[in-house]
Amino acid sequence: MSSTSQKHKDFVAEPMGEKPVMALAGIGEVLGKRLEEKGFDKAYVVLGQFLVLKKEEELFRDWLKDTCGANAKQQERRRTSSP
Amino acid sequence: MSSLSNMSAEEISELLDEYGIKHGPVVDSTRNLYEKKLKEAMAKGKKAKPSPDKTFYREEEEEVTYVYRTPAKSEDVRDSRTYMRSRPEWTERELEHSASYSGYSRSDYKGRNYDELSHESPKYTKEDFPTYGQDAPKAPKSSRLIPLWVQFLCFLAVAVFLYLVFSSMESNEPLKVIE
Repeated sequence: MSSTSQKHKDFVAEPMGEKPVMALAGIGEVLGKRLEEKGFDKAYVVLGQFLVLKKEEELFRDWLKDTCGANAKQQERRRTSSP
Repeated sequence: MSSLSNMSAEEISELLDEYGIKHGPVVDSTRNLYEKKLKEAMAKGKKAKPSPDKTFYREEEEEVTYVYRTPAKSEDVRDSRTYMRSRPEWTERELEHSASYSGYSRSDYKGRNYDELSHESPKYTKEDFPTYGQDAPKAPKSSRLIPLWVQFLCFLAVAVFLYLVFSSMESNEPLKVIE
């Protein structure tokens, strides 16, 4: 797996709790805004979406691409962020 | 073909299965995604109905733990044996088999007296052994921590000891052995 960024390490260091979606590694302001507009305002909601997609990476990737226009690397970081 | 947005969630789910697309529930947040996927799949012209390879998972129930109230007649050895046999994972058929027996013995436990119960349990264990042997290639031969003959020996030792104690109680003359 690719090396993880500091943001990723910070995220996985503790339970995500109420962390906002922008705390996810790979989600900056722009993408975060787009997600929030769609209703995914917290990291756990994105986790919920991953779970609803039955933890299928590819599906999750596609969903992210559709929802916030994230590129492949950002999506991978998102996926590994979730416990 | 009706447009995808007009279809119900179940229809979308069925279509996804037909195209062999692994999917979760068709909910508000996932619907868009699945519609897009279906459009792609249809555009690619995949076979409309590939052979469904759904995997059927047998729901393996949790291990059934038996609680045998061993009657004072020291059915200990036999019961510990059945208990240990119930530990390893059962296949579904065995579980039904055993569940029906366990329900039977448990429900009738209160009604009957110990003698009848002790008759039932050997019946139960005998029936169990053949199916267990045949149908459980996975489960290894039941590994006992203490081999059976040791258990018998201990039982005999305890019985002899008790006999000595009782007999020395009944008659005031001490036994020659003890002397």
